[in-house]
Amino acid sequence: MKHHLTEKELIEYQFKLASDAQMKEAAEHLEGCGQCRGNLEKLQRKYAALDLLGEKAEISEDLITRVTEQVRRPVVKTIAWFKKPLWMSSAAAVLVVGLVLVANQMGKDGTKQREIAQEPMPTVDKMELRSGQSIAPMTEMEVASKPESTQARALQKNDMSRKATLAMAPKEKADTYVAMDKASDDAISEQPPFAPASAIELVTLPRRDKVQLTIYNSADMTLVRERRNLTMKRGWNWLQFMWANTLIDPTSLSLEPLAEADKINIEQLVFPARLRELGRWLIHSEVSGQVPFEITYFTSGISWRAFYMGTLAEDEKTMQLQGYVRVANNSGEDYEEAQTRLIVGNVHILDEIAELAKRQYPYNRPISLGEAGGMGGGMMVGGMLKGQELDGDRYLYDVAADSFGAAFSDKLGRKEIRKEGLSEYFLYSIEGTETIPNQWGKRLLSFDVKDIEVESLYKYDEERWGNQTIRFVKFANDEEHNLGETPIPNGDVKLYGKADSEGLLSYVGGTNIKYIPVDEEVELNLGPARLVKVEPKLMDFRTDNYMFDRRGNVAGWDEIRTWKIEIINTRELPIEIEITRGFGTVYWIIESDTAYEKHDATHARFNLKPEPKSRQALEYTVTTYHGMRENTLTGNN
Amino acid sequence: MASMESTDKSLVEAHCKGDPKAFGELVRRYGDGLLGYLTRMSRNRHEAEDLFQETFKRVHEKAHTFRGSQFKSWLFTIATNAAIDGMRRGKGIRMLSLNQKFDCNDADSEELSSVALADDSYEPSQEAAKAEQVQQVREAVMSLPSRQRATLVLAYYQQLSYPEVAKVLGCSVGTVKTQMFRALKTLGQKLPDVQG
Repeated sequence: MKHHLTEKELIEYQFKLASDAQMKEAAEHLEGCGQCRGNLEKLQRKYAALDLLGEKAEISEDLITRVTEQVRRPVVKTIAWFKKPLWMSSAAAVLVVGLVLVANQMGKDGTKQREIAQEPMPTVDKMELRSGQSIAPMTEMEVASKPESTQARALQKNDMSRKATLAMAPKEKADTYVAMDKASDDAISEQPPFAPASAIELVTLPRRDKVQLTIYNSADMTLVRERRNLTMKRGWNWLQFMWANTLIDPTSLSLEPLAEADKINIEQLVFPARLRELGRWLIHSEVSGQVPFEITYFTSGISWRAFYMGTLAEDEKTMQLQGYVRVANNSGEDYEEAQTRLIVGNVHILDEIAELAKRQYPYNRPISLGEAGGMGGGMMVGGMLKGQELDGDRYLYDVAADSFGAAFSDKLGRKEIRKEGLSEYFLYSIEGTETIPNQWGKRLLSFDVKDIEVESLYKYDEERWGNQTIRFVKFANDEEHNLGETPIPNGDVKLYGKADSEGLLSYVGGTNIKYIPVDEEVELNLGPARLVKVEPKLMDFRTDNYMFDRRGNVAGWDEIRTWKIEIINTRELPIEIEITRGFGTVYWIIESDTAYEKHDATHARFNLKPEPKSRQALEYTVTTYHGMRENTLTGNN
Repeated sequence: MASMESTDKSLVEAHCKGDPKAFGELVRRYGDGLLGYLTRMSRNRHEAEDLFQETFKRVHEKAHTFRGSQFKSWLFTIATNAAIDGMRRGKGIRMLSLNQKFDCNDADSEELSSVALADDSYEPSQEAAKAEQVQQVREAVMSLPSRQRATLVLAYYQQLSYPEVAKVLGCSVGTVKTQMFRALKTLGQKLPDVQG
């Protein structure tokens, strides 16, 4: 080799890229050429920088574990990123252009048009391409859903090019990743993409991680709060939410990130035209990876009611009271492992959730292109329903207690109930959760309190109950009665008594109780008593003290009645009975050997305690004043 | 060597038959080399680990198709494809684990730490200069087209022969040499001067 080695020849020599003959020739030249040896050393120094990346990497045990774990478990794809090869877009575009050209040609050439008309029936795909309306397989749907306007096409193109630059962490990677803003070429466009009318490039909702139900029994309304981990890609994401065959109110849908909130914006919720019972959120994310989100909405079809079972002791001085809640789910959706909370109180709502859920479209009918003046209608933006105000004086019951029945034999053990006061609500935080499948009901024990002191009381009031004696059991929702921690929701009560010493029960009576605030008394009306009778008899009636006006007409008089009331107690227990007598006027006086109290202006009340198996008589004489005679009582009554 | 390769094949066969330990043995056997390769093919350690996982996932999925005797070449072929796919998808995005401390968020910092620990005469200014050079080299390598980069990394760093590189990349030895030369030519203009 007579000439000096070029840079190319030096590189080829240094990195053994040349043939054996060239290598030998170059080596011989270098041996005798100081200049070329100098150039080679300079080149070696330059490429020595490559050794800075020469450290050996060692895999960690953690990485080995992750790799081996990922091949052991079946691949579960909860997030579907519908990716589309670039060639598909090109092919679709060519197809569309081709169809347009054919259509134009057909317009010009009537003969061809007739030929086309004579062709066999077009395939489904072709029909969809022409109508652009039907829900079709992905590729056809993508073509059919091409945005109409130039701007929309530009937006979509922009979006597609962005998608090509987006990185996805491997699905099996447990770590959460954040994309760092680095290069300007991956800056997220400020312009949101056009709403997809197809399912392409959508995130479908993964399984919910947690769910909380807050059931309002007064308004057929349940607030559902779900937590789901969504895998975001950096940029614009479409998230699809479907509520087909459920009673979810689409106007109440709300989505919030529970992490990275400053990097994720929920831009809008759209309800694409012609696609029923689904909404799509447009999410602008500056991060990539799994992010927990909370989805809230109202649904109808979930209800709860409270009911109680009381068992009186043999002496009827104490009672065991068990409170239950029955939750029924007819919402069309299964709720697994749900934390259930119950609201007591009246809720003011603008619309019935069930009615909203039955709507064909969440807000209004979508506007057709023609009606909208060609502006691509049909997209409705939604959020939480305004005006769903809650009245005051409500209480929140958080119930997930015992499970009863073989159908719900998942957890039969008693769960602890932790109650907390929260603002005006009472929050029952109860260990564990409950699964309430659609069409199922579930009975949960909310409390079980023994030895509640009760008063058995019989009442007789002809004006209210005719000639029947009514039995009541009275207690208070306070600490003295081993209650009083929370208000007691309204519900049915069934009361049983112990029929004998062996503990057999007999049905005593049932009633419906109203909501009982803390420290308030409650009387359970158990209906007519068969074993205690009250028989009033009018023993005497006369009038007296007539007054006359100047013309000699009767202007006032007294009516004097003597009553004998017999109380027959056939029970083997002493009882307490309250007899209320009404007089139809506020001008009255009573003469009796038995103590009485003035109940109100027109009523007197006697309280008696007949002995077991006894008859007791109560006698009184009541004088009522009429006309001018009323004046004589002024100040006396 | 022949016994090693036959062992590789038997491990793959054992994995296909459901032996839970066989796959782990393969990961351990080739893990360091593969991770080193992927670390140089990607931007940072985390991305390399992702690609590492992806590679072995593909190995698992395609294990039943492995017929050859050169598991290493087959593995690096899969890794190269995974890396090139990853580069296509992840162009311009840097991934950072939230579990990682922010002061050592990529391979550069790790390399730097190892340099610092190994050198008794460590000084912050040297560390900073070295870090800058490492970054320049990394950026220079990363700027190469994926095929050139794969050739460079396999031949220079993994010290595979050109025929072996050709086998991994599925091309001729001549093509490998051409790619290598172009890579070196490009790097010649971008590499920092580390001697002076």
